[in-house]
Amino acid sequence: MAKIELTRSVFLKNAVKSRYPQLVVFFVMLIGYIFAILAGLIGTPVGSHNFSIVFVWIAWWAILILVAVPFFGRGWCAVCPIPLPGEWLQRGAILAPPYKKPKWLNLRVPKMFRNIWLQNISFLLLALFSSVLLTTPNITGIVLAVMLFAAIGLSTIFKRRTFCRYLCPVGGFIGIYSQTAPIELRIKEKQVCATCKGKPCYNGSSAGYGCPWDVFPGGLTKNTYCGLCMECIRTCPHDNIAVNIRPFSTDLAKPSTRMDEAFKAFIMLGSAMIYAGVLLGPWGALKDAAYNVGTDAWFIYAVAFVSMIFIVLPGLFTLGILQTKSNKPLKQRFTSLSTALIPLGLMFWVAFSLSFVLTNASYIMAALSDPLGLGWNLLGTATATWQPMPTTFLAPAQTLALVGGMIWSACTTQKAAQEVKVSPIPVIVYSFVVTLFMLWLLV
Amino acid sequence: MRSHFSLLLFAIAGLVVAFAPLPTPPVTHQERTFRIDARQFAYSPSELQVNVGDTVILQLMSNDVVHGLYVDGYDLSIEADPGQTTTLTFVANKSGSFRFRCNVTCGATHPFMIGKLTVGIDQWLYRSVGLAGLAIMAVIVSKKQKA
Amino acid sequence: MRRAEFVSRFLILVGIALAIGVPILFWSRTPLIHVSMAEAGGWSPSTFKAKAGEPLELRLTSDDVVHGFAVGQMEMEGVDVLPGKVTDITLTFEKPGTYTFFCTRWCGVNHWRMRGTIEVSGLNPNPELVAIPLYVKLGINIDAPHEAPLVPGTKPSAGSGQQLAGDFEISRFSNPDFYRANSPYQAFESMNPTGLSDSEKWDMVSYIWQSNTTPAALASGKKLYAQNCAACHGEKGAGNGVFAEDLAEASESSTQTMSRSGEMSRQTPADFTDPSRMLGASPALLQGKILRGGMGTGMPMWGSIFTEQQIWDLAAYLYSFQFEYEK
Repeated sequence: MAKIELTRSVFLKNAVKSRYPQLVVFFVMLIGYIFAILAGLIGTPVGSHNFSIVFVWIAWWAILILVAVPFFGRGWCAVCPIPLPGEWLQRGAILAPPYKKPKWLNLRVPKMFRNIWLQNISFLLLALFSSVLLTTPNITGIVLAVMLFAAIGLSTIFKRRTFCRYLCPVGGFIGIYSQTAPIELRIKEKQVCATCKGKPCYNGSSAGYGCPWDVFPGGLTKNTYCGLCMECIRTCPHDNIAVNIRPFSTDLAKPSTRMDEAFKAFIMLGSAMIYAGVLLGPWGALKDAAYNVGTDAWFIYAVAFVSMIFIVLPGLFTLGILQTKSNKPLKQRFTSLSTALIPLGLMFWVAFSLSFVLTNASYIMAALSDPLGLGWNLLGTATATWQPMPTTFLAPAQTLALVGGMIWSACTTQKAAQEVKVSPIPVIVYSFVVTLFMLWLLV
Repeated sequence: MRSHFSLLLFAIAGLVVAFAPLPTPPVTHQERTFRIDARQFAYSPSELQVNVGDTVILQLMSNDVVHGLYVDGYDLSIEADPGQTTTLTFVANKSGSFRFRCNVTCGATHPFMIGKLTVGIDQWLYRSVGLAGLAIMAVIVSKKQKA
Repeated sequence: MRRAEFVSRFLILVGIALAIGVPILFWSRTPLIHVSMAEAGGWSPSTFKAKAGEPLELRLTSDDVVHGFAVGQMEMEGVDVLPGKVTDITLTFEKPGTYTFFCTRWCGVNHWRMRGTIEVSGLNPNPELVAIPLYVKLGINIDAPHEAPLVPGTKPSAGSGQQLAGDFEISRFSNPDFYRANSPYQAFESMNPTGLSDSEKWDMVSYIWQSNTTPAALASGKKLYAQNCAACHGEKGAGNGVFAEDLAEASESSTQTMSRSGEMSRQTPADFTDPSRMLGASPALLQGKILRGGMGTGMPMWGSIFTEQQIWDLAAYLYSFQFEYEK
């Protein structure tokens, strides 16, 4: 299946080039985000009836993991409000570049941090406290506010979208999973970029700003770090940048060789399995351990969590790939083959999320009517009682997601294994085993 | 052609594994009574096993605050205050694995207060394991054919 | 600055201001009574003022679990206060005074401590004096041990007692003055001259006890027991309710439960199925215990919550753990 260039449509191209449609979306998102912070801080402490919990961890999460990431890659990043206030300050304007640019520090992020390890750590921090975070409105409000102010602060010190690229816990996994998505932003012809003077797509011009994601669009071969902000489409003087529809997981044909990305895959795989067991399983002791932060039980849980992700899962994986002989270095085999865990992890998260979203989606209508728990009834649905959506098709859907993810992962393994000239069997067996475990936990 | 043929075989096998009705061995129907203690935020016992067609009696006893018990798939629920055991009686005519959960907000991690009721065998689990196994074999076979 | 830029900045700033300001405005203008478990603060606020004859509007929301609201001494059905939802209650008090409101859905071992007061002001031409409880009038020491020296071998049957009673004159027993002031054992003793076997006498005592109450009263007592007592005293009265262990552990650290020998003792909720304690207790004693509570134990004082009739109904029901009443 060939690529379909979406920006060939004049309507779509103009919609993307113009700053106004995007601004309208930004406005709605930013207002919603700020409202969510306030709801978390001053609304009812009962999570299931507070707008911040319901709209962040049920509605937004559902749309993110079930729609935005699988189908639009970094599509959420394209509309996320977190970087906006900082970026507007940094740029000195909301729309096109101003005559005078304000003087901020504009430092380059030090090389040691120019990877996704900070994102791995920030995600893990949230994951370790997830039981508390997902159920306590004021904690969610505080975390949302911290992210917003961190982004603003970083934008006044460093260039471009430093929070998004190097710190955001969500961006870490959206990035690696976006490699599976059927949408991409790429240049049309290489020669055009070779002869382009000034590279305004990266450095900015009077038409727009340099890539906020610190990506050189001319060199984009994978979705991982492109936030679909469309700025380069506005600045490119040669109309050489396009948004295309393409087959799923095209980027996975070029496996990564980065350890930070490989470990991100393990972090996501492991946390999906742990969440499925702790949050959705019938074992009360695990839930207590996960929730009671600071107790001995929680420390044991935290150590087990981190061990699972950094020792057990990668360790078994490495043992598996050591079984086959190869002349390629272990690190290269490890990072390439861990690409197979990307579609697997994505489908693990889809299967896990389907369960708690379908169970708790009914809170959304009530939270819309009475977001702060003050007794409002804006849409007449404030008194709606909790009612899970029919669960008869949940098990088949989860099976489809998990088995489908495993097949997808196996196909990815074969391609990656060819690149490093090893047998794909150990990784396929690994995927099979973890899928069985996930099936047992969820179905 | 060979690879297409074997893929087709696997696809048919997959459909069989997923949808073929399993024979139900005749089992005498019993009346099963379970006393379930509910506390923040777990049930005890939290995993129940009955046969298809059994009459299931669940006696919900709350140990601290008002809790509920809602059975997925059967869409039945009860709630109990501490000191007032409530009983839910139903016939387990649907087989499979059903989560039961608290449907009365009982504190912070209420949405994760979950138990598991298995009626007969958890068909979907076996089917999905079977499908996963078939899928692995299909992948390995098609790889060998391509080589 | 270009006009588009100016308009965008203006709209964004207005939007942010509204997103922050509107929730805060509404929140600060919505006076809600926040209700949480006693350990987390209980009723907040917990005292209200009202004027006699004028409606008092209360808006309650629970911050954690299911609670309920009712005003004591009014036989008011509890109104549920649900987590995250707002319940509106309007009360109108005719008489001035201090009213106690309380939580009506069990919310932990300290549920009964969730109480507050409503001060209703106004002119009161005929202030009611609190009635002196019967146990005080009779001089009963409700903290003294009250074991019955003799107990029946099997559960006495009121039905058999009724059949026996046909041959005897029991009108002196079947009146509230006798019934309330005497324990079943005392009734048993005062039957000594009649020449019946012990178990027959106990049957008659159980019939006398039943005749001093009505099915409606027993039903009311049963409901009160289930809603207020069973969580500690057990659904079958055996002192083994879901909170019995918690109470025993709490009492181990309380100096009020030291026995006379100076040792720490474990105070568990009373066992109403224990014949020697129950049969040695008169209704007046039971009323006293219920009214006054346990002085440092986990037994609540119900004086401001139950009406006098409710307490007699409850006491009558408690004896049904000892006697086989006819349905």
